[in-house]
Formats: sequence, structure tokens, C-alpha cells
Amino acid sequence: MPYISFLILIPIVIALVALFIPTRYKFIFSRLALAATILQLVLCVGMIVHFQPGEGLQLVERHSWISLTLNNWGRLQAEYLVALDGLSLPLVVLSVVIMLIATISSWHIAKSRKGYFILLLILNAAIIGSFCALDFLLFYVFFEFMLLPMFFLIGMWGGPRREYASVKFFLYTLLGSIFILIVMIGLYLSVQSPESTDEVVHTFNVLHMQQAKNFIAGSLLDFTGAGNWRLWAFALLFIGFAIKVPVVPFHTWLPDAHVEAPTPISVILAALLLKVGAYGILRFVYPVFPDAAIYFSDWVAGMGVVSIIYGALNALASKDLKRLIAYSSVSHMGFVLLGIASATTEGIAGAIYQMVSHGIISAMLFLIAGVVYDRTHDRLIENYSGLALKMKYYTSFTVIAFFASLGLPGFSGFIGEVLIFFGAFQSNAINNLVPLWMPVVATLGLLLGAGYYLWTLQRMFFGPFSIRANFTELTDLTAREYLMLLPLALLTLLFGILPQLLLDFINPFAATFTSTWFLFSTNATP
Amino acid sequence: MTEFITIPALVITLLLPIVSAAVAFVIKEKFGWLTPILCTLLLLAAAAAILYTLFSNPELTEHYTLRWFTAGNTTLHTGILSTPGTRLMAASVLVVAAMVHVFSIGYMAGDNHPDRYFGFLGLFTAAMLGLVYSSNLLTTFCFWELLGFCSYRLIAHWQQKPAAAVAATKAFLLTKTGDLAFLIGLLILWAQHGSLEYTALTNTTGWSTLAGVCIFCGVIGKSAQFPLLNWLPDAMQGPTPVSALIHAATMVAAGIFVLVQLAPALSPATLAFMTAVGITSAIAGAIGAWLETDIKKILAYSTISQLGFMVLALGLGEITGAFTHLVHHAFFKAGLFLAAGAILHSMHQATHQQQADVQDIRNLGSLRLHLPYTFLGFIVCAAALAGIPGTTGYVSKELILTAVHAKNFWWLELSVWLIVVATPLYIFRLLWFAFLKPAVHSLAGTEVPWIMRLPVLVLAVGSITYLFRQGHFDSFATYYLQSSYSIPQNIAFTSLALTGASLLIAWLIRNKTTGTTEFLLKKILDWVNAGVVRLATTLATVTQTLDVKWIDRFLHAIAYTKVGLAHMVGWADRNVVDGTVHGTTLVLRSVGNLTRSVVNGKIQSYLLWAMAGLLIFIIWILY
Repeated sequence: MPYISFLILIPIVIALVALFIPTRYKFIFSRLALAATILQLVLCVGMIVHFQPGEGLQLVERHSWISLTLNNWGRLQAEYLVALDGLSLPLVVLSVVIMLIATISSWHIAKSRKGYFILLLILNAAIIGSFCALDFLLFYVFFEFMLLPMFFLIGMWGGPRREYASVKFFLYTLLGSIFILIVMIGLYLSVQSPESTDEVVHTFNVLHMQQAKNFIAGSLLDFTGAGNWRLWAFALLFIGFAIKVPVVPFHTWLPDAHVEAPTPISVILAALLLKVGAYGILRFVYPVFPDAAIYFSDWVAGMGVVSIIYGALNALASKDLKRLIAYSSVSHMGFVLLGIASATTEGIAGAIYQMVSHGIISAMLFLIAGVVYDRTHDRLIENYSGLALKMKYYTSFTVIAFFASLGLPGFSGFIGEVLIFFGAFQSNAINNLVPLWMPVVATLGLLLGAGYYLWTLQRMFFGPFSIRANFTELTDLTAREYLMLLPLALLTLLFGILPQLLLDFINPFAATFTSTWFLFSTNATP
Repeated sequence: MTEFITIPALVITLLLPIVSAAVAFVIKEKFGWLTPILCTLLLLAAAAAILYTLFSNPELTEHYTLRWFTAGNTTLHTGILSTPGTRLMAASVLVVAAMVHVFSIGYMAGDNHPDRYFGFLGLFTAAMLGLVYSSNLLTTFCFWELLGFCSYRLIAHWQQKPAAAVAATKAFLLTKTGDLAFLIGLLILWAQHGSLEYTALTNTTGWSTLAGVCIFCGVIGKSAQFPLLNWLPDAMQGPTPVSALIHAATMVAAGIFVLVQLAPALSPATLAFMTAVGITSAIAGAIGAWLETDIKKILAYSTISQLGFMVLALGLGEITGAFTHLVHHAFFKAGLFLAAGAILHSMHQATHQQQADVQDIRNLGSLRLHLPYTFLGFIVCAAALAGIPGTTGYVSKELILTAVHAKNFWWLELSVWLIVVATPLYIFRLLWFAFLKPAVHSLAGTEVPWIMRLPVLVLAVGSITYLFRQGHFDSFATYYLQSSYSIPQNIAFTSLALTGASLLIAWLIRNKTTGTTEFLLKKILDWVNAGVVRLATTLATVTQTLDVKWIDRFLHAIAYTKVGLAHMVGWADRNVVDGTVHGTTLVLRSVGNLTRSVVNGKIQSYLLWAMAGLLIFIIWILY
């Protein structure tokens, strides 16, 4: 059963169906979107059952897509190649869960519901597609396809400065896309498919790009080629994805986009779109340019540490609750980068774990910011005090989300961070990629994290009750909000107590990643 | 045969506090009155179970491990290490926790949030038990952090009081600062040994000093040692029974207990560092207790002093003495705090109209008449704290003194004698002001209900029972307590003489009320903390400015330049070029359209052009 294609096609087909339903049937669109995500969830269950951890790439679907003969330029070949491994499976399942929750969260969207839910469905397909695609061109198409719905979802359904935020988001990400595009073309010209012997077949297949022998001798990005084109290509590709992660200093689109985006879009943005950036680094940047990755490892780790501290400091300075959470995302994604830079099995596994964990926790955090915004249309922290007195259960969930995010043991964030620290600390002894002082400095991020969360709790939730706007009757969580927050809270608790559930999938990938990576990099460096 | 009994008993001990927490959180608000009773019964059952294990099987050592998770070559275990020492610690934790629960039934009777209170109390106890039984440093660290979380929630129990919220935040952040060092130490150990099992760690000699110091820094935070001690007096904002639990059995005791576990493996330099920190904290705490007039804060400083005393002992290698003192301290300090709670409870009821601060000992007096039972309990526990012969505190103090004497450092010995003199001084002053001196105000507190008298009395009895000394008790304590209790006569005599002299001085200067002199050290430390916080917020403002002003402004400048350029090109297109050179116009117009489309928001076309342009450019470059 072609699970992956079904996963990608379901939202597209339902979006097409929705396209032909007249706008006046307002309530059918949300139901269609919900049906799509539930169907995807069912498929995911089947997929997990079918998936054999440790067997590498699975559920492979491969079809010829573009095949052009360009005479003396050889043949252009792009394929529809999708598959799952220990890196993409957790992220795909996470995407489906988050999409389901985002759909529930969008239930009461007032403005042009038809357009909204159709865009949401397209976004859904594009995100899952980019996690599964192993052909660079196919990935790029999905990657670009995420931008358009996102641009409109922020630009039309967002807050007061939505146009500024959406254009900024778009231009930033587009800049990244262009960098990726340049490198992709360079790679395309430099790599030939090993499957054909009689003629030169240029391929976009990432698996081929990950092997030194497939580089055409003397081509631009060949290992033996003159100049340091490979270093440049690494830097461009890395920045392209780093903008998405986001890594300081390429991050200023994030706070604006988050503040202006409606709650469900913020959830998707933080939980999934940021992961695409980190996924890209793990799937494309590091495996294709291991030599350059080693060369730049200090920089990558350093950018991770700077993101951790800089993001946390900015969160501390934020007066807007959503802005604070957005910056905390920058800080937490910095840990992912630190783990990747260490290139140890623990570090890689920790980075993937942190990606999943941050997906769950940041979704919770933005939902929590949305709860209070829904009621008062005010997100300034200083305008609240003593919310705990009026909204008991809301406060409980906030405490859970905050402490999960600041890395309390028992929640998934702790496992991810501890593994990353294990990896980063060992790196010094194993491969000497991350200097020892970097993880030590990074621990400060944990303290700052505790600082901004506890300060927020103290200012917004504790103390005597007062609120700027005239909302004396603040209602506690509604059933719909429970439906979104409770599963996420349980998930982060589950992965915090039984990490092996997830690590069983991640470990084989991390092991092969580091082993083949080193083999490749040592073979490659002359 | 024994295993069939001990394993269920162990499991019951570990699970009941969690069950209690779950019960508290689950019970509906309507049945809130049930929560205190049910939770207390569960805790009493747990205490009974541990006492049964303690006495039925004194020698047993059990070690169960379980794989927790594997990542790469790192396999982390979690497990239970049940030795006579851990069981003894668990027993003291559970007895104190059970007494605190019983006391809370009365003390928190009017509270609106029994679910939160008893829930976190149960979780707090469970976390401490987890830490005690943990066989692995990482698991210990997990419970260590959970303790911090529970104490945060409990100190902020009256969260509508801003001071309580601030104190809770301060406690969490200061202990978290230490925890960072703990984490780093743990990572260093992992890198060195490849294992975090206690059995592996304690058998290896030659730990690096850095790892030991890092872990000890975690203890400095958790056990409120110098220089991270100023959170503990502030934490008095929490309910008094919570203070009893924090000071006696959980939280601050956790730090000492971890050191007890690890001390045999620490390097001499680490031990020397511990001695220095311990002695500083012990003296600082004693001075703070002498200067303070708030009844709860006096006890808080006293805890700092006593913990410093234990750290000092551990630094000297006197593990037995430190551990014994930890257990003894748990009983008498919990007793003192609960007695203080009883005083406050009774006075609060008496002084609803008057504005006097009942926590200020200068406003108290002649309470022996109003609270005779509490007085009895208090005097016994105070005697144990002062180290009067016949109490448990005496025994453990003498053990530590012997170890100090054996080291033969005159300055060390001098400072320890100073602590021996200072402790009776401040605790007698408290006793005098609260119970003996004629009352200043006409406040007549009434004796508290039995449910609040009993725990104090039980803990007082615990403070005069030699758990380690007599008969068959000796056998189960052998693991930690190999040395015998023969105390050199000269030490016993000197300490007795000094304690007596100290009490005499205390009696002579009993009416000299200390003014409102603030403890300078606390002020300095608070000032340093505020400085660090200000530094962080200043840095945060700087980064925020960097983000909003510089990075974004830079981007805006680029964007405006682009738009300006597009307009210029557009203008040139219309006025200069138009009609003259057709060929150029075509090119320029396309460029103009391209750039202008950014302004129009027609980004799709921009994308298309960008891709096409790049493709052409690259193909042109390459061929």
C-alpha cells in the first residue's frame, strides 16, 4: 500500500473537492479538513505498524517524473522518490498530529472559511511531502509549496501588522529558497546517476548525492575540484535551511510572523515549519557536504549556542506573550543545531528527539497563548495578573507547558536536551567537532529559560487578579481547548518517561548517519 | 522468603506517595474535605511500610536496574538501590512527611486548594524517595529537578500573595543555577567513566576534582550553602508545614544525601572545598539566626548552619557523622518548624483584629501557658538542636566534633567550637522570647487541636530516640555506620562545657533584644542576585534592540533601496527611455516589473523570474 502517496494525496484531493463546494456551506470545510487529518492519522497508525525500525529507508515509492535528453548535456532526470526512515517517520507522524490539532484550533475561524481550509490542506500536503521526498527537485517543489499557503494564511487571517509580517516571512524564506536552488542546480550538474552506464544522467536523487563516487570528475562540486566551491555550496545550503530553523542572525522573520499569525498557524509554524529547516540540514546539508560540515563545525555549533543564548535573552525582554514563545523557539532550536554539529550518535538522536519534543511543546505553548488572546484580544504580559485565580485549569496546563519547555525531567524536552548535551560533550573526545566550552555555555540557556518562564508565571498568573480590559468573567478552558491541550500534554509526558518509544525509530538512523557520514567524509577528504 | 516481603514493601513505599498525589489531584472540588484525610492515611501507610522493612530486614541490600533508554552507544539505566542507609533515609523522609501531612490537616483546614497542596506534598515526598532509592546519578538528577519543581509550587502555594510568587521564583532560579553545575559534573563523569551507576562511581577512586566540584555546586544550590543560601529564608513565604518538609526531609536534605552517596569517591581537593564552604555556611547561618527576629527565618538560618555543619563533616570524610546528623536533624528541625506552625496557627486565630506581626518573636511571649504541649515538643527539639546530652543531636554532633579534632587544624576546630557555642545561643533566645518571657501584647493564643499537637510530640520523641545506638539497631546501620560511637572524653567534656557556658550566656543576655539589624551577608547576596538579574535584563534589552533596531532596520533599508530603485527604473522607463531605444526598453521594463512586483505583492511572478533568471545565469556561467 503506497502509504506516503496516500498521505500526501488525501489533503490534496479533499482540497480539490472543497474547491467545488459553494462558499455558503460554511461549516462543511472545517469538517472536510478534519476528516482529511483523521484519515491521515489512521494511515499513520498503519504506517507505524508496517515500519521496521533499523531497516533503513522503507515504504519506498519510486516513479519516473521528468526525463529529458539534452544531447551533449546528458540527460536530466527527476523522480518521484518518497520514502521514510528513522528521521522522517517521527516528523511525518508529528505533522499529522499537529495538523489535526491545528484543524481543531481553526474551528471558529470567521473570515472566508473556504479559502482558509483549502490553504490549510495544501500546506498539510506540502509539509508531509517535504519530509518524505528524497529527490531534491521534488523536495524543492514541496518546500516552495509550503510558502504560498503560509503567506496567505498569515497575510489574510493574521493580526494588525499581518501584511508586513507575511511579506517579511515570504522574502526571508524566499531568499533561503534561492540559496537552496543555487546549490541544487550545482549539485544537479555535478552528480550523475550510478544506475546508468552508457550515458551521463544528471540526477536530483539525494541518495546519489550522498556518495562521493557519483560526483562527475572535474565538475563544480566534485571533491577533487579546484577552488572551495564545496565550502561555498555548504554555506549557501546551510543558510538556506538555517533561515527556516531559524538560526540567529537569520531569525527576525519569526517573532513578527508568530505575533501576527492566527493561533493555528503559529502552531504549525513553530511545530512543523521550523522542523523542515532542521530536517533539511540533517537530510541534505550534512550528508551531501560532510567535508565542509567538518570544516564549518565550529561555526555551526557556535551558531547553535548563540541562538540558544540570544533567543533566550530576547524572550526575557519580550513584553508580548507570543513573542516570548517565538523567541523561546529560537532558543530551543539552537539545541537542535548544537546536537547536529556534534555529529555523534547521541547528538543526532538528541537533535531529532528535540525536534519532535519541541513540536509538541511549542504547539502547546502557542495554543496557550491563543486561549488568553481569544478571550481578551490582548497579549501583553504586563496587562495581566493573577490569572490563576480565575482560570485554574488553564493555569495548570500553562505550568505543564512552561515546565516541559524549560526541560523538567518527566517531560520530553529534558530527554532531548540531555541527549544533545551528552553528544556535544562527547564530541570533543570522539571527533573534536564541538569545543567543550560550547555545551557548557549552552547550559546557561536552561537557566535563562527557567528565568523567562517563571517570570511570566509570576507576572501573569500569580499575584492578585487584575486585567487591563474589562473581562471580569474569564471562562476557563472549553471542551475544545481540552481536546487540543490534553493529548499534547500526555504526549510530552509519555515521551519524557518512556523515551525508548521514539528512540527505537531514531537510533538506527542516528547510527547509520554517523557511521556512513564519517566513512564518506574520510574517503572524500584527500 | 524475605524477598517476598521486602519487595512488596519497597514498592508500596515508593508508590503510596504518588498515589496520594494522584488522589489529591483527581478528587473533585466538591469532595475536597476528603483529600487531607485520604492523603494522610496513605502517607501513614507508607511510613508504616518503610518502618516494617527497616526493622524486619536490617542487613538487606538490593539493587534492581532497568534499561531506561539507549541512544547511540549511550545506554542509560534507572534503578533502585536499597541499602540499609537508603532505607534509613527513606524512613526519616516518610515519617517526617507523614507527620507533616497529619499536621496539615489542622493547619490547612481553611485552605481553598487542598488538591494543589496535598498533591504537591505527595509528589514532593515521592520525588525525594525516588532520589533516595535511585541507583544512578542521572535518575537522581531527574528527581533532583522534580524536587525543585515541587518546592516551587509549594512555596508559591498562596500564589495570590506577590511575595510568595517572588520567593518561589527566586528559590527555583537559585537552585537551578546550582543544577547547571550538577549537569555539567554529571556529563564530565559520564565522559570519564561511561557509567552513572552509583556502584560504579563510588568504587572508582580518582574522580576529577572538576566533576566533584561541579556536583557539589549543585548541592550548594539545593542545600542552601554559601553563596546560594539566600533563597531559603525567603522561602518562608510558603505554608509552615511545607517549610518543615523542605528543611527536614526533602529538598535541602537531598543535597546532603547525594554527597553522602558520593563522598567516598570525591577527590581531596573537592573535599577541602566542601569543608571551606561548609564552615562558611555554618557560621553564616548561625549569625543569621542570631540577628533574625522572624520565628520562621531563625529556623531557616539554623537549617543553613546545620547543613553547613554536615557538609563540613563530609568534607572531613566523616560520612557516618554527617549522615547520622542528617537523619537526626530531620526529626528535630521538622519538630521545631511544626511547633512554630502551631504557634502561628494559634496566634493568627487570636490576633485577627490586632495588626501585630505574630511571626516576629518580639511580639510573642509566655506561650508555655497557652500551648503547653507544643512547648514540650519545642523544648525537646530545641535541646536536640543545641546538642544537649540525652538527645539525638548530641550524638551526631559529638561524632563530627571528634572528626574535626582528629584533623588537628586549630582554625577549623576553633570555628567548629564557635558553632557549638552559637547554636544554643540563638535557639535559647527563640525559646525565651516565644515561650518563657512575659508577653508584650495581651495575646492569648489557645492550644491547637490534637491533630497538630501529636506530630510535634512524635517528632520530639524521635529526637530523643537513639535510632543508631541501642541493641539491634546497630546491625542495620552497619553499611553507613561502621565506626563505633566511642567519643573521646576530652571532646565530650569540652563540648559539654561550651554548651553549658553558651546556655548561661544566653540566659544572662536573654532580655537584650536584638534590634532590626539586617543580616549583612544576606543583603550582599541579595544585592549580587539583583545585579545578576539586572545584567541579564540589560543584556536582554540589548539583544532586543539589536533585533528590532539593527537587523530589521538593515533589512528595511535593503527593501527600501530596492523599492526606490524600482521607482527610479520605472521613472526612467517612462520619461527617458520611452520611445527612444525600443530594445533597451524591453529589457528595462522586465527588470522594472521584476523589482516592482515585490511592491505589488505579486510574489509568484517574482519567484518565477528569480528561478528563470538564476537558471539562465548559471547555465551561462558554466557553458
